[in-house]
Amino acid sequence: MIEAKEVSLIYPDGTKALKNINLKINPGELVYITGPSGSGKTSLLKLLIGMEYTSEGELKVLNETMDKNNERKIRKLRKRIGPVFQEFKLIDGRTALENVMMGMRFLGIAPGKMKEDAENALKRVGLEHKIHTLVEHLSWGEAQRVAIARAVARKPVLILADEPTGNLDHENAINILELLTSFKDQDTAVIITTHATHLIDGVKDATFVRVNSGEITVIRSEVG
Amino acid sequence: MKTFLYNIGYFLSEAMRTIRSNPLSNFFSVIGTGLILFLLGIVLVGWSVGDQIVMALEQEAEISVYLTNPEDQVKIDELTLQLQKLEGVLEVRSVGKEQAKEQMEKLLGNESEILGLFDENPFEAFLEVRINLGQMEEVLNKLQNVNGVEYVRDNREVLEQMKQIADGLKLIGVFIILAVGMTTLIIISHMIRQGIYNNREQINTLRLLGAPGTFIGFPFVLAGTLMTVIGGAIAIGFLLVIINSGYQQLSGALPFIPLPVQEWLQARISSMVLTVSAFLGVMGSLFGLASMRNDKS
Repeated sequence: MIEAKEVSLIYPDGTKALKNINLKINPGELVYITGPSGSGKTSLLKLLIGMEYTSEGELKVLNETMDKNNERKIRKLRKRIGPVFQEFKLIDGRTALENVMMGMRFLGIAPGKMKEDAENALKRVGLEHKIHTLVEHLSWGEAQRVAIARAVARKPVLILADEPTGNLDHENAINILELLTSFKDQDTAVIITTHATHLIDGVKDATFVRVNSGEITVIRSEVG
Repeated sequence: MKTFLYNIGYFLSEAMRTIRSNPLSNFFSVIGTGLILFLLGIVLVGWSVGDQIVMALEQEAEISVYLTNPEDQVKIDELTLQLQKLEGVLEVRSVGKEQAKEQMEKLLGNESEILGLFDENPFEAFLEVRINLGQMEEVLNKLQNVNGVEYVRDNREVLEQMKQIADGLKLIGVFIILAVGMTTLIIISHMIRQGIYNNREQINTLRLLGAPGTFIGFPFVLAGTLMTVIGGAIAIGFLLVIINSGYQQLSGALPFIPLPVQEWLQARISSMVLTVSAFLGVMGSLFGLASMRNDKS
């Protein structure tokens, strides 16, 4: 599903965000990418969704080479990914339902089915009572749930969640992680970045990738 | 195509949202576009009326053919038939001696009394030949070489000057249309760029979710086209008023000007302005959209 070989990312200002990353993630896998702020977790996710391109090495996501020359295919590939952005990227002036449907409109789903799927996704994240609320009127935690609903309503094969526990208290953070991991199945892999390692202590059936100063320092699998 | 059909309602609501996102600026853009399209409409009205006048004058482009034997009616009839067969000749009419005098009396009006000084009718029978103005030179040469023709009198200079004026007006019109087109394109593309800038975060999110460029861009094209068409509709409203009042004034004061039928002119100008505005709207929006390509996804 994801294969990185000696991948490096250097930003235009010369900052080396990632160095010699080697990683393999399989379908149905739950992966936590941990590390302190600025360690390169978000940069790694940006590479996986094609927001940045590798400076060195080779990265393949869902069999597509994540290369600048492959932009057209990468744009198509994004339809199969469910991203949950750190800052959510919800669209103001639209309701929760409209935001979720916004991520589905170009997937060729009939309007009735699309609305039904979007409503189900919002129910699954516990927001059935806020379906018609404008997203700017939602709390931080609710907005995050809308972002998750938008990601999963598309029935992606890869869910990427960037720091979903940031700004949340312990209880809500645990709830969000549980919610995200519940979408992992035989075909769908879930990758979550977090700097709050205490939230995932004791988690089983997952792979833990520790990133520090742009390098992977530990890859550890816990089997439940 | 399926995705497009499923999302028609969405595209329309997004287009309206884009228009409403910057109401004051878009309002002035629509008014500006309307005024520009009004200018374009005025040029088109000028063209249509000018074309009609030139066409009417061309139809009345008559040449007088004087004969070597104006008294011989058989010869006149033969010559009439002969000239009708010439290429470029539209109609040949025989004008008798008395008819020629009546024509002159009509032309002279109150001064026609002068003709009373003659003991006999001083006019000769002649042939009035209506020709195709575009073939004037050719037809004149042919007529002059026909046996039985003494002299050919034409109003070529006047007609050619009129044609030159009409052609000059057309050339000026072309430049005005080009200027109007360019200005409209600039206004609309600027409007769309502004819309894209205002919605840059939404566009970026849609890109990251995998939305194709056509899906993202279509509402902007729709918004630009809608605004230009609204501008066009405003222009048409003003043009209809202007045409109406122009016809009322001209038909009273200058009844001999061969104006086109008012309803025909109004329908023609309305459809032309509407078509041009829709075309410019689409083109301007596409130019505006081109700026999206330079944004980083």
